[in-house]
Amino acid sequence: MTPVTIEIPERFDRDTVQPIADRLDAAVARGHAAVRIDLSAVREFDSTAMALIVAALRDAKRTGTTVELEGISEPVLDYFSLVSVRHLIEERKPDRQLGFVERVGRGVMPTLHVARDSAVLFARAVRSLVLGPWTGERFRVSRTVAEVSEAGSSAMPIVSLIAFLLGLILAMQAWLQLRIFAAELFVADMVAVSVTREIGPLMTAILVAARSGSAIAAQIGTMVINEEVDALEQMGIKPVAWLVVPKMVALALATPCLTVLFDAVAMTGGMLFGVSVVEINPGAYLERTQESLKLADLASGLFKASVFGTLIASIGCALGLNVEGGPEGVGRATTRAVVASIFAIIVFDAIFVIVLRVGS
Amino acid sequence: MRFLHRERPADPGAGDVEALIDVEGVSTSFGDNVVLDGIDMTVGRGEIFVIIGPSGCGKTTLLRHMSGMLPPSSGVVRIGGESLYDLPEEELDSIRRRMGFSFQHGALLNSMSVIENVALPLAEAAPHLSRDLIDEVAQMKLEMVGLLDAKDRAPSDLSGGMKKRAAIARAIALDPELVFFDEPSAGLDPITAAAVDNLILKLARIFGITMVVVTHDIASAFTIGDRMALLFDGRVFAHGRPEDVQQHPDARVQDFIHRALPRDEARGVDITDYLAKGALR
Repeated sequence: MTPVTIEIPERFDRDTVQPIADRLDAAVARGHAAVRIDLSAVREFDSTAMALIVAALRDAKRTGTTVELEGISEPVLDYFSLVSVRHLIEERKPDRQLGFVERVGRGVMPTLHVARDSAVLFARAVRSLVLGPWTGERFRVSRTVAEVSEAGSSAMPIVSLIAFLLGLILAMQAWLQLRIFAAELFVADMVAVSVTREIGPLMTAILVAARSGSAIAAQIGTMVINEEVDALEQMGIKPVAWLVVPKMVALALATPCLTVLFDAVAMTGGMLFGVSVVEINPGAYLERTQESLKLADLASGLFKASVFGTLIASIGCALGLNVEGGPEGVGRATTRAVVASIFAIIVFDAIFVIVLRVGS
Repeated sequence: MRFLHRERPADPGAGDVEALIDVEGVSTSFGDNVVLDGIDMTVGRGEIFVIIGPSGCGKTTLLRHMSGMLPPSSGVVRIGGESLYDLPEEELDSIRRRMGFSFQHGALLNSMSVIENVALPLAEAAPHLSRDLIDEVAQMKLEMVGLLDAKDRAPSDLSGGMKKRAAIARAIALDPELVFFDEPSAGLDPITAAAVDNLILKLARIFGITMVVVTHDIASAFTIGDRMALLFDGRVFAHGRPEDVQQHPDARVQDFIHRALPRDEARGVDITDYLAKGALR
């Protein structure tokens, strides 16, 4: 059988390669036993043209076609001397298709890993804190104070603003329902109870997760990719005691403090709405508020806030410390820290309220 | 622009070739800080031109001026006779596509795999090509730099030397006429650095690419350079073929290329005397 000859024109480069590629494809695909590529006319040649020849050789190898190259000039041979065509057209194992179970696992496992890493880190932080006096892992007071200031004091303006607006909204929604029963005065009860029990700790924790959880993951993640954490360890400074414990203690303290602020400002907002729109007597509003406030509600709210703060710090630190993949990984860890923290906050809140009946 | 027409001059560096880059009276300052102070130099077509000098002498800034990334405060940069910063943006872009740049730390796009990084310039410049063919070109470039087996890895998983080679593969993705290298051997061990030098020489010899290399690695500069310029404090101190620079009479030039401490800092003692006596072993 005579081989099919494909004559390559003078110009063989990335602007003229496509029609030649189609002809080559057709010749190889039609299963000719031999294809001859005649390069003797070629004057202009570039790496796209070279890639086309490599691709033809690869296809030919697969279909069992013989490819002959004819009239190769010295410079073209020189270009080919830069690469090993045998290495280029070698069969590579295709990526294995994942089964259903594996795909589900790939989706779920990272979440479980975050939970596991955070729990382990929390346990190590508690150990460092409790056994510190014996193991020499000193508790860093000044670093903790700095963290409290960063996560707590600096968050006061935004927490106050959101608390005030939320207080107004809650009072408004309560009033819309309560006026049906001519029970407008109970707006005060409604605001006080819902804020201290649930909305205060929850909203504060979500704000802390967004502000500090992301910052913690970003800061520690950056330190990891800059080898700063390794440097600490090498200098004999325990990263858990130096980095994690101060942040965990700081958030465990700062979140309930911010919650107190949130509760107070939200009730002020509610009262402002009650007094100005619903026209409740300020004295009566305050009295109703006092009546409905229970120390147990406030305490359970603050307890939850403290747990939420610890969760946020554990998750942020764990994601930061396990960062992979350079600066890109830091970005991913930061986002995941916020999402995972908020998820964990809601799950723990549900456990507290429904299973443990905290505050009921 | 196709490379069959490009031939490396028989005696690169002899200065008898047409000038590809012409730098005339380029000065740059950032605020009060004068980085470049009246630079004049020419890079001939097909030669490997090396800019050496100590850290902070303005080498990288000069490279950014030459490659169309940053206009100088004053002075002119001409490529193929065209004043780079007087061109409209589209024409500057079309010149940019005929040049490659290998950044000091690779500057690979982290969200893409190595092969996607190398395929990107071609996919953007030649959208009419089939995806398979573009991938084939990218694989070939990776094979040229010896990185084919790492093609599906993320840039963050590469070692320093591999990142540099991937950056070179991307820089030559469009068969450029001119490639700029910023510190190609910085941070590499001597063997990997020699391999990168060898790659640069091979690409220059076979593709006839004009190369401008900024480095503070003197061994590498004298290995690959056809001509070189030595920069000190934003000025050209020595300019010419490696032999001329080596025999330059200025004491600072001699100190730099022999890696000696400046005499006043060494307090009149030549450190090589110590080494010869074995005192510092």
